[in-house]
Amino acid sequence: MPGGPVSIFDTSNFLPHGICLLWQPELLALHVSSDVLTGLAYYSIPLALVYFVRKRRDVAFSWVFWLFAAFILACGTTHFFGVWTLWNPDYGLQGIVKATTATVSVLTAVALWLLMPRALALPSPTQLRIANHALHREIEERRQAEERYASFFNNLAESLFVIAVRADGTFIIDTINPAHARATGLDPARICGRPVDEVLPPDTAAHVKARYTECVAAGRPIDYEETLDLPNGRRTWHTVLVPVRDAHGHVVQLLGSARDVTERKALQEELVQASKLATLGTLAAGMAHEMSQPLNIIRIWAENALSRLRDGDLDQGRIDKVLTLIGEQTDRMGKIIDHMRTFSRRDGGGTQLFDPLESVRSAVEMVQNQYALDGITVDADLDEKTCMVRGRPFQLEQVVLNLLSNARDAILDRRDAGGQAGRIQVGFLVNGARQTACIAVTDDGGGIDEAVLSRIFDPFFTTKEVGKGTGLGLSIGYGIVEAMRGRIDAVNLDHGDGRRGVRFTITLPVTRPSLRDVEMAHA
Amino acid sequence: MPDRRHVLIAEDEALAAMAIEDFLSRKGYRVTLAGDGQEAVERLRDDPADVVITDLRMPRLDGRGLIREVRGMSPTLPVIVMTGYLAEDSDNDALTNGTWRPLEILRKPVSPQAILDTVVRMLDDDA
Repeated sequence: MPGGPVSIFDTSNFLPHGICLLWQPELLALHVSSDVLTGLAYYSIPLALVYFVRKRRDVAFSWVFWLFAAFILACGTTHFFGVWTLWNPDYGLQGIVKATTATVSVLTAVALWLLMPRALALPSPTQLRIANHALHREIEERRQAEERYASFFNNLAESLFVIAVRADGTFIIDTINPAHARATGLDPARICGRPVDEVLPPDTAAHVKARYTECVAAGRPIDYEETLDLPNGRRTWHTVLVPVRDAHGHVVQLLGSARDVTERKALQEELVQASKLATLGTLAAGMAHEMSQPLNIIRIWAENALSRLRDGDLDQGRIDKVLTLIGEQTDRMGKIIDHMRTFSRRDGGGTQLFDPLESVRSAVEMVQNQYALDGITVDADLDEKTCMVRGRPFQLEQVVLNLLSNARDAILDRRDAGGQAGRIQVGFLVNGARQTACIAVTDDGGGIDEAVLSRIFDPFFTTKEVGKGTGLGLSIGYGIVEAMRGRIDAVNLDHGDGRRGVRFTITLPVTRPSLRDVEMAHA
Repeated sequence: MPDRRHVLIAEDEALAAMAIEDFLSRKGYRVTLAGDGQEAVERLRDDPADVVITDLRMPRLDGRGLIREVRGMSPTLPVIVMTGYLAEDSDNDALTNGTWRPLEILRKPVSPQAILDTVVRMLDDDA
């Protein structure tokens, strides 16, 4: 059966290859041993490659290794066939094996060249070693940085805490530093990683959550003062919250720092109270005078009426007049007492919206008569426009009273020194465009030495003689006005007619009253 | 009664002055009122008094100023001071150290009877 695919497997017409070697045993041995050894070696290489690929599952282009394995296996097989055909003339089968080897070889060769750019791109072990080294160095640097920040976090006296913000709006206490743990009495081991609700008392949790929500909503740092009930007791904190965003801009964390201001607040309040008492002291003289006047009138009229009654000289008209007058005078006294009472009580609670004009008017009325007795005129030029500022009305009144009292002292001193003085001007102006209200108190008491003008708001700084001033009045006033987000300034002024003095100006931001506040004010 | 004694009252609180005037008038005194020290000085010049009753705190010319003027006119004219505040006479000045004697201090609220008693006593001492 000549020709056709089957005919190549027909070995009957062929002679074994050994004949070409003339069956010379040395030559046969040389060929057989070389081919067998090469074949065995070739067979062992794919095993090693497969073993390697299976062990190193991370190796790049592992299919190439399989291809190599197949290629070498095929090569090995051709060698074994070389031995086989020495005795068996299966040249057709040998050709197939060779063809297979050729196919796999070509594929491997082509694949290798195709792969070359990518293989070259693979980092060499040296490169890897350098990269590794750099990586180690960076890790070390980061570790040191982390240690440094951890050291900050752990050793800073400032209370620090981190709040994680979950997508569902839950706030988790991520971590707190030892200072915060000490200051609050919270146990980090017990609270970290748990929701705020679970670890803080309900009131405290509700309070802080409202602040956290505010900070997340604002998307920027906020700072505020808060009084919280914590394991260490009721303390007042000045807290700053800073939002941290993820790559999508969502706030995922809040960094918090808190400073315990309980003592400072108490001290501040004490100072305000002390200054108020000092102001009260200086006003007491005037008050006693104010009170003694109506009391005096009542006593004189009552006793005079009694005397008339005993003399049988008291008609109905006079009784009416006397009793009406007594009623009026007690009324006058009641007003003075009311004023003192409201002034001396602590302004507890929070701030409120109020009309600053009322505080100014009240302060002016309180001293106007009294100062007139010293020959000092208090001229008030008050803008009647209604506006609202936020603060504590009596504190503002105290500030204005303090300015008036300083003005009077300056005028009296000026006179003692032989100068002409005796006029205090009080101005009140609402600037709608700038949203401010201005209170100005101007005297003609000679002015303040320019050298000390910048220091007059310092605590305990006084130009008065020993025993006359605490030096607290203006500094407290400064604090009060600042707390209202306002400003207080002092400038020397030449009145032009030879009189000189000082003008104190308080500038306060005006708040548009919200409907609710107006309703509250009218309630 | 042409020989009625003349009392000048310097007091800026008109209501108080009026009742004292009424009381003393009924007790037989002739009373003149002045609203401040300056007015009192002017009235004294025109119409000398037997006793001066004065408040301390007054506009224009205060009580001390008035007494100074009075002592300039007469070293012996009895003066009664009505004052409402302790500190006003604690300055250890002529008011309290005897310089301006004859001088009596009455504290507000004053009793009209006490004023009368003091006037009587001072005029008797004078007599």
